[in-house]
Amino acid sequence: MSKRRLSFAVLAVVIGVMLWRALTPESANAVVVYVSHDQVFSEPILKDFQRDTGIKVLAVYDTEETKSAGVMNRLIAEKANPQADVYWANEPIRAEALRQQGVSAPYRSPSADGIAEQYRDPEGHWTGFSARARILILRQGLKDKPTSIQAYTDPDFKGKAVIANPLFGTTTAHMAALFAVWGDDRAKAFLDALSKNGVQISSSNGESADQVAAGTFQFALVDSDDVHSRQKQGRPVEGLYPDQEADGLGCFIVPNAVLLINGGPHMEAGKKLIDYLLSRETERKLAYSDAAQIPLHPGVDTPPGVPRLEALKVMKVDYATVAAKMQAIQPLLRDWVGH
Amino acid sequence: MERRVTLLVVVVVLVIVGLLPLAAMFGKSIIVDGRLTLGVYEKLFANGRQHWPPIGNSLTLATLTAGCVTLLGVSLGLLLGKTDLPLRRTLAVLLSIPLLFPPYILAVCWFNLLASNGVLVHVIPARTLELLSGWLFGLPGCLWVLVSAFMPVVMILTLFYLHAVNPRLEEAGMLIARWPATLRYVTLPTILPGILFGGILVFLLALGEVGAPMFLRYAVFPVETLTQFSAFYDFGAAAAAASPLLAVTLLVLAFERRYLREKTYRLRPTTPGRRMLLVPLGRWRVPALLAVSLLATAMVVLPLLALVVSSLSPFAYPEAWNKAADSLARSLVFAAVGATLLTVFGFFCGYLIHHRALRLWRAVDTLTLLLFTLPGTLIGVGLIALWNRPATGFLYASAGMVIFAYLAQYTALSSRITLATLGNVPQSLEEAAQMTGAPWLARIAYVVLPAALPGVIAAWLIGFIFCLRDLGASMLVYPAGQDTLPARIYTLMANGAPSLISALCVILVAVTLISLAILGSLLRAVGSHR
Repeated sequence: MSKRRLSFAVLAVVIGVMLWRALTPESANAVVVYVSHDQVFSEPILKDFQRDTGIKVLAVYDTEETKSAGVMNRLIAEKANPQADVYWANEPIRAEALRQQGVSAPYRSPSADGIAEQYRDPEGHWTGFSARARILILRQGLKDKPTSIQAYTDPDFKGKAVIANPLFGTTTAHMAALFAVWGDDRAKAFLDALSKNGVQISSSNGESADQVAAGTFQFALVDSDDVHSRQKQGRPVEGLYPDQEADGLGCFIVPNAVLLINGGPHMEAGKKLIDYLLSRETERKLAYSDAAQIPLHPGVDTPPGVPRLEALKVMKVDYATVAAKMQAIQPLLRDWVGH
Repeated sequence: MERRVTLLVVVVVLVIVGLLPLAAMFGKSIIVDGRLTLGVYEKLFANGRQHWPPIGNSLTLATLTAGCVTLLGVSLGLLLGKTDLPLRRTLAVLLSIPLLFPPYILAVCWFNLLASNGVLVHVIPARTLELLSGWLFGLPGCLWVLVSAFMPVVMILTLFYLHAVNPRLEEAGMLIARWPATLRYVTLPTILPGILFGGILVFLLALGEVGAPMFLRYAVFPVETLTQFSAFYDFGAAAAAASPLLAVTLLVLAFERRYLREKTYRLRPTTPGRRMLLVPLGRWRVPALLAVSLLATAMVVLPLLALVVSSLSPFAYPEAWNKAADSLARSLVFAAVGATLLTVFGFFCGYLIHHRALRLWRAVDTLTLLLFTLPGTLIGVGLIALWNRPATGFLYASAGMVIFAYLAQYTALSSRITLATLGNVPQSLEEAAQMTGAPWLARIAYVVLPAALPGVIAAWLIGFIFCLRDLGASMLVYPAGQDTLPARIYTLMANGAPSLISALCVILVAVTLISLAILGSLLRAVGSHR
């Protein structure tokens, strides 16, 4: 064989191996998880699961701009041909929406024992764990600090506040919760007041937090982990749990939620992953991580700066009602944002 | 027969990876529950007014970007390719660096530079910094970032097309006028079709750009497609949202085909042995060098410096490596596979267009250009619409989808490079081989390819760079656990420490530059061997 033909043969083999590696689907001992929780926080947990169980974890993560919406909707689109086994939602509302769409399968994990019924689907389709709170991030050194989300409508803060796009992520859930608790009229009036008071819309909670840290705005409604991460970076911000008065609304608690995908390719591995995610040890890790999330299991060790659930005044909501409301208010929110 | 079958197969593959996904997506927008309806379009455009601002923003940004890039790119191309400016090769390479990574990384660099705790905080007064920071988030910032990102396109095209100017015409011009007039009346008119083509390309690329405008909070219309799909997974609405952009793209490409394409085809480098006439700058040498150096500093050195400085934290690089080594390895493999397939398909597409071997050669050229200029998110949406079915699940769940995305988006690059290269390969060589009775594939393998080898290698190199930096389509179609490095960087931006993100960007840039250096050496070695 001439040198040239040999070279071509070697090249063809190399290309064939590269193509095979590129196109080979995942091994049987694997679990596919779609994750809406921030990759920087969720990936270490998934890697620990992989290390501890030997089951390869194949993950798809959301991006900041489509937080918890893109991956959820990919699951709906793949309903007839599911690719995922587990969905790790960063809020229960989208998990509830998936249950309503018939995407999930019921699974009552033994690890869920101890988690309050409020944070679990009655039929076992999803279970909450490790929560964030919706809190206000404030620029350090503010003379007049807002103590309620109603500060968004306070003329003293006109043009000085920002909120993440309510079409995506936890802001959608929070808006839906307000509609569920206040009723449509009062909630619509609140949105109108936001517009009139010059509240700016950012693309995400992270961007809102960055803008407050940069001094562009004085405060924003974000998730507690957004505040914690900016504080860890040494940026001049502080967090405040809003509406904590005796007659106050309370702050909206957003637990992560995990559910099993109906018809997923690796159901048994999916159940093992769910058991792992709902464990006390995972909640402890997430509490101590930069996510600074509040455990839902009582008695889980937490660091200073991560409050216990019982120490907070919490907004009383039914997540199934909030999920239904979230679907209903989509057109209104789109009009409000301007889509 | 052999030639016809091979080229038809290439065309069919191009249609499958490129045209069919778009058709599937637009099909979903007009066929709802088995019935033909335009309801999605009516619904989306019912409040047409709310769409005018982002459409206006997109057109404004694209027009300004194309205009600035053309002026700057041509000027730099002339200075670096046509004069005796010192260090022109180094400056040309330096100014081309922004082409190696996605524009949103440049946006991140400028954010790091101008943030209140950024690199320039100790150099620029606080008020000026605040003003600049305010400009960054909006049209001025977006324009600056896209001009920096796309200027190399026109600059490189100008450098390339300058070789198409017959030096004898310039010499004749110099007999009666000086260099400025010769450049104005001989050189520039000769290469004008190529420059305009470059401007049109930049216009379409800027029109479809999503990453940088989203980061810099400038509301552009392609974001609507991404929103409709990513937030609502509404294929129909995503397709409808993309239709104005598609219409503008088709209009511009129709203009390009009608007025420029034939003239661009005729722009072929003159005899390689002949040196290009250089303009002596004389006393303008030093000022010109200072001006270009300043521009290179502003456009390339400063943002890269900001990226490196913001990545300098004790744990940023180990953490970045820990988080992204696997996606980096995958990116390199995907890019290599993608570049190889792009080179093969692009070669045959370029051959088909050069020889007009099939009647639909114009359609093939237009299709590849259209796919190149469409937003990557649109191509990704189309691929999902077509392949997300039980029967094709094996493919949908594989990284083959990422490769398809590369093929759809970037075949135009390798096709046009092949086209330009084949212009230098005398047809008589192939005809002589044909007369000896050699089959067509043998003629391609033993006559055409060796003669076109530098161009083929250049096509592979450029395909590799573009596949490595791809974000739009690959972010939507990568299967679970197989994300690429640009997608990984984008997902880690959510609460990822700035130093981590910067370190990841530096790794992406460094890997691309190292790959270029290695492959560039290989190219020189192959060239000198011939």
